[in-house]
Amino acid sequence: MKIAVIGWELPPAFSGGLGIHTINLFSIISKFADVEVFIPKMSMLYPAYPFSVKLVPLTYSGMKNNYEPLIPDFNNAVTEYNNNVVNYFDPRGTDVIHCHDWITFRAGIELKEKYGIPLVVTVHSTEIDRSGNFYPQKWIMDIEEEGMRKADHIITVSDYTKKIVLEMYHVPASKITTIHNGLGKHFYYLPPKNYDLSGYVLYFGRVTMQKGPKFFVEAAKKVTNKMPGVKFIIAGTGEQVEEMKFLARSLSIQDNIIFTGFVNLTEAIRYYRTSDLFVLPAVSEPFGITVLEAMSSGTPAIISTTTGVGEALKNILKAEFWDTDLIADYIIGVLRYRSLRSTLGSVGQIEAKRFTWENAAIETMEVYSSL
Amino acid sequence: MGECCHRNNGGVFFVMKNVVFYFEVHQPRRLRTYRMKEIGTNHDYFWESKNKEIFLRAANRCYIPTTKLFTEMGINATFSLSGTFLEQALEYEPAVIDAFREYFDSGLGELMGETYYHSLASLWDKNEFAEQVREHEAILWELFKTRPKTFRNTELIYSDRIAEYVSSLGYRNILAEGTDQITSMHSPNYLYRSTSGLNLFLRNYKLSDDISFRFSNWGWNEFPLTADKYARWLDNSPGVMANLFMDYETFGEHQVSETGIFDFLKYLPIEFQKRKIEMLTVDKAAELFGRGDMISVPDPISWADTNRDISPWLGNEMQKEAFSEMQKLADNRNKQLWRHLQTSDIIYYMSTGMSPDQIVHDYFNPYKSPYYAFLSYMSILEDFRREYTGKS
Repeated sequence: MKIAVIGWELPPAFSGGLGIHTINLFSIISKFADVEVFIPKMSMLYPAYPFSVKLVPLTYSGMKNNYEPLIPDFNNAVTEYNNNVVNYFDPRGTDVIHCHDWITFRAGIELKEKYGIPLVVTVHSTEIDRSGNFYPQKWIMDIEEEGMRKADHIITVSDYTKKIVLEMYHVPASKITTIHNGLGKHFYYLPPKNYDLSGYVLYFGRVTMQKGPKFFVEAAKKVTNKMPGVKFIIAGTGEQVEEMKFLARSLSIQDNIIFTGFVNLTEAIRYYRTSDLFVLPAVSEPFGITVLEAMSSGTPAIISTTTGVGEALKNILKAEFWDTDLIADYIIGVLRYRSLRSTLGSVGQIEAKRFTWENAAIETMEVYSSL
Repeated sequence: MGECCHRNNGGVFFVMKNVVFYFEVHQPRRLRTYRMKEIGTNHDYFWESKNKEIFLRAANRCYIPTTKLFTEMGINATFSLSGTFLEQALEYEPAVIDAFREYFDSGLGELMGETYYHSLASLWDKNEFAEQVREHEAILWELFKTRPKTFRNTELIYSDRIAEYVSSLGYRNILAEGTDQITSMHSPNYLYRSTSGLNLFLRNYKLSDDISFRFSNWGWNEFPLTADKYARWLDNSPGVMANLFMDYETFGEHQVSETGIFDFLKYLPIEFQKRKIEMLTVDKAAELFGRGDMISVPDPISWADTNRDISPWLGNEMQKEAFSEMQKLADNRNKQLWRHLQTSDIIYYMSTGMSPDQIVHDYFNPYKSPYYAFLSYMSILEDFRREYTGKS
């Protein structure tokens, strides 16, 4: 079997979960099938990958820094990439085309129509999620809708996302399969955590509306009213960093909040391990791999009910993203009771390890063979 | 008891002809979700709507129909009715009390003692334990004019020391789990004696679970279980009696009516009669079989989970912290409320883990999460501490 994967990024380029998903999943699938991964020729790459990588040249090809490409016009780049994938594509022997998110859907649709090869699309996130359901862009939703409609099968990363696909994109449930992401191998063998109080509460992720950093800062305010010494770390970059700094100042908690900027994997593990708890008050998060990373580090997690991975987790605290009173209660509880920290942390550490890329790969292969 | 034994190749070999039924009837007063901001302002801790809903459902599915069936079919059994069960019955559905009264008035049954609050007091304070046992005796007297002779501690939690407490309170008989460790040496089908001299009955968990867990299990190779088949098993078992101890809610609640559990129950006494198997109450069995071998149980055992120990209540750090915080409030101005906060179910809901046992915990957990159970409980204890302890 030969699978052509239309991707967008691969590690070490580090902007979202898409690249991590692609390398982990297809490293395993490539042991059983021929895998060919298309990506734009613009990001920094490792010298080799366990599958064949097809670099698709783009007019724009500068780098902002070592990890992030410089793209003056993102939408133009997407259009050019999709056109070029179609032009470069060699259909011989290809059994399945597998696309990931709207940025690759148009190439997938055209290739399916041109060569009649079955199309699988994975929905990592929808425009509804990314916009926080706040002015979603219709032209993107149209591409998403067409890709989902024309696909032979759709993979969603959670039942939460499956529900959005069913309700907002009107796709029949029979052609949707939920496959949860796995945990990265760096997180598998972390030793048990020390539950002495450090006084740090962690937000880790892009600082953007979708992930709910505003609710983290508001909850921080409510916690510091009762526990003034607690520090809140906001780790990551994003367009709302300045807004969050402003919010912290206007709530007079600027001394309680630490903004770290960009954080790499080694630093991320250190933040997970040294914080007393991890909070993800996402407005709409299709999966939420950071939740599993925090848990596998032994750190208790509080997440919103609109975070996909929560549907498969028991050893976690959940609140509505806007319910900052309850989020603050949970934070105070975890900080106040050592036994809650250690039980939630140590049982959660075991639970998070149930999510493996091996399972995700087997389930994905089952989707391919069902076509 | 008919012919009790026959000789076989020189050895004495009893043929089982007796059944001892014991049923646990208990409902906790569940605590509601209690938020931190309520501390100091709201002293109302109980989840009334949930408690009422669960009680009424169990009353209609199990307590009333099963008890009436017991009376009608003349089934002898021993019951423990916890204090928290009885007070909810009085409050939500007095017809439950009437059904039990009718049953006990008929002379078919025996009522046994326990802690009123179905608590873990036996594990930490002898005097607190004794007071809760006396409180339970008082309500049994008030409602049924009975003084119990047999004791069953919360969820069959048992040890030499607990048996000694119970013995000092004037009881004659006590029940315990027939754990694998004990029954490897001592068949549960005989009567034993505690180190403090009580008649000790060991639960036959295999035969008990055949009804309470496996009755409706399609994957079980003995499915379906009929009264005829079950009576035959008892008839062919070694020993003098089968101690069948289970939750009363087995009938109609855990095993719903559609599984045929009531038909099974209806035909059981008929099948027993055909085989001359007698149903005995615990105290009656103690009279007949006298004092058996002494068994020592140094560490607490119970009938819960796979390990049959006290880990379902005190297995993780949260449970230990919660248990210890509750004890620190012993000097208070509202003993009754404080004792309601000791009901073992409350701490059972804080149990964690990935084992198959956890499915059972989740089944009973009204919060669906041990962590929410813990947080609510700790906030309630904090409110209790401010309101009912120290200088007022």
